Amino acid sequence: MSDRYEKLGTSVILLIPLVFVLRGGYLQEVAGFVYLFLIQGYVAWFLYFKCGQPFFGYSVTMAIGAYGTIMLTELSGWPLFVSMMISGASAAVVGVFVFLATIRARGFYVSMASFLLAILFPRLIDALRDITGGRSGLYFGGLSDFISYKNVYIIVILLTAAVATFFFWFMETKTGKILTLISENDRLTQAVGIDTKRYKILAYCIAGFISGIGGGMYVNYTGFISSVDIEVFTTVYIFFIPLIGGSRVFYGPVLGALFVILVPELLVAVERYLRIAYGLIFIVVIVFLPEGLAPYIRRLFMRDRLKQA
Amino acid sequence: MLLNGTITGLIMGGILSLPVLGVAVIYGITGIPNFAIGIIGVFGGFLAWYFLSFSIGLAIVIGVVACFAIGYIIQTVLLTPISEKGGDATLFFIITISLGFVFEGMIRAIFPRPNISLELPHIGTIQLAGVGVEAFKIFALVFALGTLVLIRLLEEHTEVGKSWQATSQNLKLAKLVGIRTNRVFSIASGMGCALACVGAIFWGSLYNLTMLSGWDLGFTGFIVAVVGGIGNIWGGIISAMIMGMVMSFSGYLLGGMWQSVILYCIVILVLIIAPKGILGSERSL
Repeated sequence: MSDRYEKLGTSVILLIPLVFVLRGGYLQEVAGFVYLFLIQGYVAWFLYFKCGQPFFGYSVTMAIGAYGTIMLTELSGWPLFVSMMISGASAAVVGVFVFLATIRARGFYVSMASFLLAILFPRLIDALRDITGGRSGLYFGGLSDFISYKNVYIIVILLTAAVATFFFWFMETKTGKILTLISENDRLTQAVGIDTKRYKILAYCIAGFISGIGGGMYVNYTGFISSVDIEVFTTVYIFFIPLIGGSRVFYGPVLGALFVILVPELLVAVERYLRIAYGLIFIVVIVFLPEGLAPYIRRLFMRDRLKQA
Repeated sequence: MLLNGTITGLIMGGILSLPVLGVAVIYGITGIPNFAIGIIGVFGGFLAWYFLSFSIGLAIVIGVVACFAIGYIIQTVLLTPISEKGGDATLFFIITISLGFVFEGMIRAIFPRPNISLELPHIGTIQLAGVGVEAFKIFALVFALGTLVLIRLLEEHTEVGKSWQATSQNLKLAKLVGIRTNRVFSIASGMGCALACVGAIFWGSLYNLTMLSGWDLGFTGFIVAVVGGIGNIWGGIISAMIMGMVMSFSGYLLGGMWQSVILYCIVILVLIIAPKGILGSERSL
């Protein structure tokens, strides 16, 4: 399958859950939730796996988008769309700040700084509980005040498909190709006269903004956010989405999000052993399927088609 | 308040220094950042609590030995083979976090209570400059510093210690002169987890142990080690003492909620200003 068909196919597949609107209920609710994390998963896919930037603060940029949207809308009385845009821009600024602040550090130290920020942020939210609600959280009407829950769901699906399609398109542009080059060989890219810092800042801007908008959409869909929702494990799960699904293919994050969000739903009967199963599955996938689930799912699919032929 | 804060800070630093030592030993020798040691240590703490009714000594030995065995096995079966295949720090970060999930789940599945307090015997109170401090807390501090000195002595004056140093400094050369480096890695990992377990037992006897305190202990141990210069044992201890003070005074002045916020802010600042920690790291991540 050529890249072009794979991208087109992924964008179309992403729209399939729109049919859940017809029945509504549990399936629609879960699909919306999976898609909210899929937005973040595609951000991780873009920034970490395609641009090679060791960033682990996805829950932070998402939280800035979510809390920013609530604060600006509820406390400052700004229009919802403007609040979401400004919150997205703030998340982008934080992402760029982390990059610039750790520019002297190398490799894992950069990951550590953003990961520590992901540990710090929920604690800061707890400490500022008079404003943020801490663990008790904040409720938010948002879009649901103007349109029905089904329409909010449709917007979530369309936004996710748009985000994925944007990333597919962006990676084909000249800027996207330079970012791929940077991820493969930073020094070589500098040697041919490209200002890599500028391109990296752009990558952080795009990732932070989309993650922030995704966070804003999260509170519009769930109507609630607390420090528990943005715990450090949220960032770990988001990072696992492209990793488990397969970072080399365009539909990898879709498989990853289905896996990361749906496995706990399926294992609800053995909730007591959920964490053990989760941890073991992650280890097995990482050790034995280093390219994620995608190549194996594809192989299974191809085998079935061959049998049919 | 100043004296109280200092004493509390020193004791917190002392307890913190045990998981920090664990991180420093594991990272210093194997080069692997292990984020699961806190939760493995707490698993050992829960195990010790389970056997506490039989005998205190036996309970502590069971916890510590079990953690050593877990660390040893994990390193032998999982981490060393991945390291030999060229796994990088990010991969180890993900794998050790996943391992942490497994042990957190095991605590939930095996033990009847999610929140325990290890009631070790009260051995009286010591007067320090007019302030009464539980002797057990002083014991925890002395034990931590004693462990540090012991590890240093072991490293400098024994064949085993020298083989650790050789493995840490030049793996290929160490293999060439016949050192069984994989065994050294496994022992280091076991020791790191055992140290984390002792830290968890002290923590559990002074405060509370929950399923989640393992993450706190592990992450805090890790970031304190980063501030000291990850892999640098002396840097780790100095950093643990400073961070203990920071936690103690921020707790007194701003309230418990701000303790970890201030701690993490300082660590992020250190990472930005001096990425290799205050005393630098012999290894580079």
